[in-house]
Amino acid sequence: MKILRDHSTFLAVVVFLIAFPFLMALLDGQSIGAMLAGQSGNSKFYQGLLIEIFILGIFALSYDLLFGITGLLSFGHAMFFAVGAYTAGLALKSLKLPLPQTLGLVILAGIAQALLFSIVLPRVKGITFALVTLGFASVFHIVIMSHELNDLAGGDVGLQNIPKPDYLDPAAQRLTFYFVALAFTILVYLFYRRFVDSPTGRVCIAIRENEHRAQMLGYNTFYFKLVALIVSGITAALGGALHALYQPIVSPVTASLAYTVNALLIILIGGVGTLSGALVGAAVFRLLQFFLDKFFGESSSFILGVVYVALVLFLPYGIIGTWRAHRLEWQAAWRARFARVATMLNRKT
Amino acid sequence: MSNLLEVRDVHTFIGQFHILQGVTVTVPKGAITTLLGRNGAGKTTTLKTILGLTPPRTGQVIFDGREIQGQRTFEIAALGIGFVPDYRAIFRDLSVEENLRIAERKPGDLERKADLIFGLFPDLKRLIKLRGTQLSGGQQQMLAIARALVADNKLLLIDEPTEGLAPVLIEQMMQAILQLAAETTVLLVEQNFHVASQLAKHYVIIEEGRSVQSGVMADLLKDTATVRRYLGAA
Repeated sequence: MKILRDHSTFLAVVVFLIAFPFLMALLDGQSIGAMLAGQSGNSKFYQGLLIEIFILGIFALSYDLLFGITGLLSFGHAMFFAVGAYTAGLALKSLKLPLPQTLGLVILAGIAQALLFSIVLPRVKGITFALVTLGFASVFHIVIMSHELNDLAGGDVGLQNIPKPDYLDPAAQRLTFYFVALAFTILVYLFYRRFVDSPTGRVCIAIRENEHRAQMLGYNTFYFKLVALIVSGITAALGGALHALYQPIVSPVTASLAYTVNALLIILIGGVGTLSGALVGAAVFRLLQFFLDKFFGESSSFILGVVYVALVLFLPYGIIGTWRAHRLEWQAAWRARFARVATMLNRKT
Repeated sequence: MSNLLEVRDVHTFIGQFHILQGVTVTVPKGAITTLLGRNGAGKTTTLKTILGLTPPRTGQVIFDGREIQGQRTFEIAALGIGFVPDYRAIFRDLSVEENLRIAERKPGDLERKADLIFGLFPDLKRLIKLRGTQLSGGQQQMLAIARALVADNKLLLIDEPTEGLAPVLIEQMMQAILQLAAETTVLLVEQNFHVASQLAKHYVIIEEGRSVQSGVMADLLKDTATVRRYLGAA
């Protein structure tokens, strides 16, 4: 019972997300049978939107581990995601590999990238590390857009016509894809929570706060940063693989600085270093994009910018960070309000 | 009494500045040795040089019979040297327990040292679940020292432990450091000569990056001219 009480919010969100496709179908007047058969409708559409949020959330979680928890600011994080997406796409399309082998290859690609980034770890820190990683990502961005690789990677259009396994085809099996993406997001989140609460995670937090202090305690901080890079790299690459499976095209934009900035923006909105903030931030980010686009068309970018500025101004620690910082006083204020109302009602009666 | 640490004629640069210009410090095992000197004399840099945070350009640092200059900070720390910096260097985003737990070198270190740590700093037991940000300055200083006690450090480098503390806390901190000396060897930097003279058995005076005098504290206390000349106190 204690576990249920301690994690009630998390469990409530999971239950809601499991029920979501069915609730949407009911609200839309669609029968559950039709929804399960993958017929078009609001339920299928919003499942797609949520899948995009899950993928963004996984990507943002991986960035939060690197930047929010370990303090490694990377401007090239999108490369992890893009390499995962392109590796998955090419393995399925050109190498005709089955999905399990493809995912194995994606994991290896994530590790290889983390090792590549780690070459510079002992030599550069802070903004210099960020710029070096941006350099790596820019080179990758240029390579996948090059004419020489046009046949393989699709140039500036991107990688198209990736064959998807029948059981995970996002068009025909949207609900299955939805639950796979949801399960993977939950697994990644729980793994990250466990990681951050582990002794290794505590050292990562210590490195973020002050690397010298961690060294003074006898920790070789390089290895801990490497572990964070590898875990983050694998996660982002798997997020990229999910993206390749879901989207019709893997665009080279996924390797651009803008994509890394998206991850940064998401964790700023949700709360840097909070983990759950990455998921909340991804939802806010994508839903704002979607609804503002829907209602304001081309002006949406301007409004989006204003909303982001307002969020950063009024929620300086992000949604989750600010909630954690002020939860007790807010709860006390609400309790006091309820008590006043109850007193007034008692007097009247 | 054998020496646990010997710093021999070290010269340390920070950037282009020649900060330590020949510092020699001998720390006998099982006692408190204090580095004395005015602000900016090079006391803290000496501690950082020992720990490899500002590595010496020349000279030797010999700990427990082996040369350690040139080794990396984490390697030196792992040999059994704990450092308590002067800026209450706890991890503010970690809880008191996590701050202590992170200093373990072997699983169960904290449990083994719990009696000692919570005996010295009983407040920490009460505050165990609080985050570093929720502690007062004095509590942070206690936690910083307690953290250095978790692992079996042979030598503790303590920098200005009473700086900025209220008088009642200074007294408590002094008692704690005296009890520490029964467990381990301490090299202490303390600006407050009154405090240092009550705690330390040995001293080294550092003046403008050079060690100029060393000996037994009891002798220094009788030498008011030296105290006035180098430390501005009497």
